Amino acid sequence: MCDRSILVCCVAVWGLSSVEFVLRAQPTPSVWDGVYTEPQAARGATLYEKECGQCHGPGGTGGGMAPALVGPSFSANYDGQTVGDLFDRNRTTMPPGKEGQLNGQENADITAYVLKVNQFPAGQGELPSQGMVLKGIQYLAFKP
Amino acid sequence: MPRTVSHHVPALLLLAAFVAVLQFSPRVSGQTGGPVFPSTDNGEWPHYSGDVKGSRYTPLDQIDATNFNKLEVAWRLKTDNLGPRLEFKLEGTPLMVKDVIYAVGGTRRAVVALDARTGEQKWVYSLDEGRRAEVAPRKLSGRGLSYWTDGRGDERIVFVTIGYRLVELNAKTGDPIPSFGKNGMIDLKEGVVYMKDKRIPLETGEIGTHSTPLVVKDTIIVQSSMAEGLRYEFSVNAKGLVRAFDARTGKQIWRFNTIPYPGEPGNETWENGSWEWTGNVGVWTEMSADPEAGLVYLPVESPTIDIYGGNRPGENLYAESLVAVDLKTGKKKWHFQFVHHPIWDYDTVGAPLIVDATIDGKPRKLVAQASKQGWLYVFDRLTGEPIWPMPERPVPQSNVPGEKTSPTQPFPSKPPAYSRNFLATDDVIDFTPALRAQALENLKKYHWEQTPFVPAVIPDGKIFGAINVANTMGGVNWPGSGFDPETATFYTQAYNSQVSATAISADYFKVVDPAVQAKHRIPIWESEHFGKEESFGSRGPTPLTEGLGGLPIVKPPYGVISAIDLNQGTLAFQVPHGDTPDAVRNSPLLKGLDIPKTGQQGIVGIVVTKSLVIVGDPMLTAPPGRPRGAMLRAYDKKTGAEVGAVWMPAPQSGNPMTYMVDGRQYIIVAIGGGTYSSEYIAFAIPQSELKRTTDRE
Repeated sequence: MCDRSILVCCVAVWGLSSVEFVLRAQPTPSVWDGVYTEPQAARGATLYEKECGQCHGPGGTGGGMAPALVGPSFSANYDGQTVGDLFDRNRTTMPPGKEGQLNGQENADITAYVLKVNQFPAGQGELPSQGMVLKGIQYLAFKP
Repeated sequence: MPRTVSHHVPALLLLAAFVAVLQFSPRVSGQTGGPVFPSTDNGEWPHYSGDVKGSRYTPLDQIDATNFNKLEVAWRLKTDNLGPRLEFKLEGTPLMVKDVIYAVGGTRRAVVALDARTGEQKWVYSLDEGRRAEVAPRKLSGRGLSYWTDGRGDERIVFVTIGYRLVELNAKTGDPIPSFGKNGMIDLKEGVVYMKDKRIPLETGEIGTHSTPLVVKDTIIVQSSMAEGLRYEFSVNAKGLVRAFDARTGKQIWRFNTIPYPGEPGNETWENGSWEWTGNVGVWTEMSADPEAGLVYLPVESPTIDIYGGNRPGENLYAESLVAVDLKTGKKKWHFQFVHHPIWDYDTVGAPLIVDATIDGKPRKLVAQASKQGWLYVFDRLTGEPIWPMPERPVPQSNVPGEKTSPTQPFPSKPPAYSRNFLATDDVIDFTPALRAQALENLKKYHWEQTPFVPAVIPDGKIFGAINVANTMGGVNWPGSGFDPETATFYTQAYNSQVSATAISADYFKVVDPAVQAKHRIPIWESEHFGKEESFGSRGPTPLTEGLGGLPIVKPPYGVISAIDLNQGTLAFQVPHGDTPDAVRNSPLLKGLDIPKTGQQGIVGIVVTKSLVIVGDPMLTAPPGRPRGAMLRAYDKKTGAEVGAVWMPAPQSGNPMTYMVDGRQYIIVAIGGGTYSSEYIAFAIPQSELKRTTDRE
């Protein structure tokens, strides 16, 4: 009985550590893993011109009052944060006067466009619009 | 004369003189029975810029080079719940009068009063303006507020709402002053016109302000501004104006129209009748005054459609000019136009600085205007005469259809520019030969000349734009500059690396073409697309930055602190401001290279004290040795040496100020941005470090 209990414990510990190893071994996705698609970014570009470009300039290069969405200042704000942080910032505060009026898909498309102008690669799957999922995608200014 | 009267006469004369002194010396504080006015001399901060001269200066010296690094956070105010949503762009500078802090904050532009020692809230005022605020051109919390007192206990907070209403509040309670305007409020949209004399609609008419009213004695002067945007589609807009109101009642005293009407001098600078439909030409920045001379200085901004002037041929007075007007009447005394027929968005920025200097051995009364274009324009503030020559020099001409650029622009001969205003060949990136070669290759696709004022082009597949520097962000921008009145030294932070490719896309030109505009001249609020406007521009990165790995095309320093000795018209010092950006420090293209501190891109404001220039970083960085964040830095104001720095969790977003209460000096700065929502953060020397004082310094 004692030997069996020890065996069960050992198997359990081994099993748990294997799961932990597998979990640790899975890399956290980042913006370098192709987290949006080109068609999505193209939709985002159209929305950007309509909702964002007046203030943030063509291609996100910035206006007088609104900061650039590309370049060192922008990347410094989000480096080490997540795509979810960027998405939530847009969702809750942009555009001024119309906050919350764009739906999740539109916000995701615009976020995809911002990733594109920041020269992160496109991939096969669209950027989702669920904040919790986006919180799991790291924003890294430089490729790891 | 009877003997008793002859004895009393000298006494009576003395009594009369004493009464006269009390009556006519209202500015002397502390005398029994006389009015008392706040001042930076008392350790207070009663104006946005410290005083009406724009100095951003205080003689406080408790915080100095020996203890700046010991500063601790005394208190902080998050503005999260002062409006309906989080704020990330708090640009306010608080005031401090009689131990109370007054500040704007939150996305509703609320006004709060706080205990200056602890930040404890005393009252809050907020006005929900509904759709009028939603469509307003100047949203969010703005840059601050103003204070008026009669010196005898009537104290008022004066500010302009998002929806462009002038409000006065009881400074003790936050309640609107019933005797001011209508129940404490004046609707500033009333009286604003577009076209010749049409009244703008009160809800949707485009006018507002971020800046603070200027309070000079018992007069409140209010500026005006419109939407910011470089691709405006309408040649018609509300006309800019500056108005003065009685501080007690709100009665309008005078009005200055920045676009002259027919018969007024300057109207002829709007050809083809374009004075009529053109608007903007507001004053969106801070103003200043010389109360002794009775003059107010107005830094006037750009005309409608910033980057294309085909609908408004002519020099366009008083756009992008400094105008001096009489404090009592609003009549123009003199003006100087910095940019003729403006098409570069070089709108005038920052309060004009009212400085007294000694030049060539003679005392001179100056007004010095900083600019996006890196020049400090210095004038005799009474006459408008340039102190040093500003010759008109030939500049490149536009080939955009309908555009008639000015053949010349004024180039100040002195002092030297405090930041770049064109991309010099020697200033192109050169960290490595490969990067420089790539940059020069990219520049072949642009109209690039060794001068400012290169006109925009319509891209044609070979030439993508015209290279200009500092023409949208600066140089100096809304945070303005400051000076030390003791030494007549000008100080500023300046963005030294904003390179833009100025272009008018073919699609945009189709909209702003004068032939098209002339068929249907309407302002934006009459458009069926009002609120749903689109922008015109390229959809991706431009060739200008290709192959540079995100590095700026221009060499460091990317941002600087510059000082100019106004007695000599010379640069006293220029140093990089801010840690090297992470994107540069970590760039794989620069691996192995030892890059000196580069300073940072961005625009921030300063405060000047007895010994220091204090200013925070405009960017977040995470260099080795400290947490990710930004630094509030102190520079020796004589040498420019950095003498201290304290950590902040986010970059500076509003101009700092400093004050003293109960013998302890505080510095307040607004921070925020990115994912860090806005807050005011107050620093002070730890109590344990304070020298024992019995009197308030």
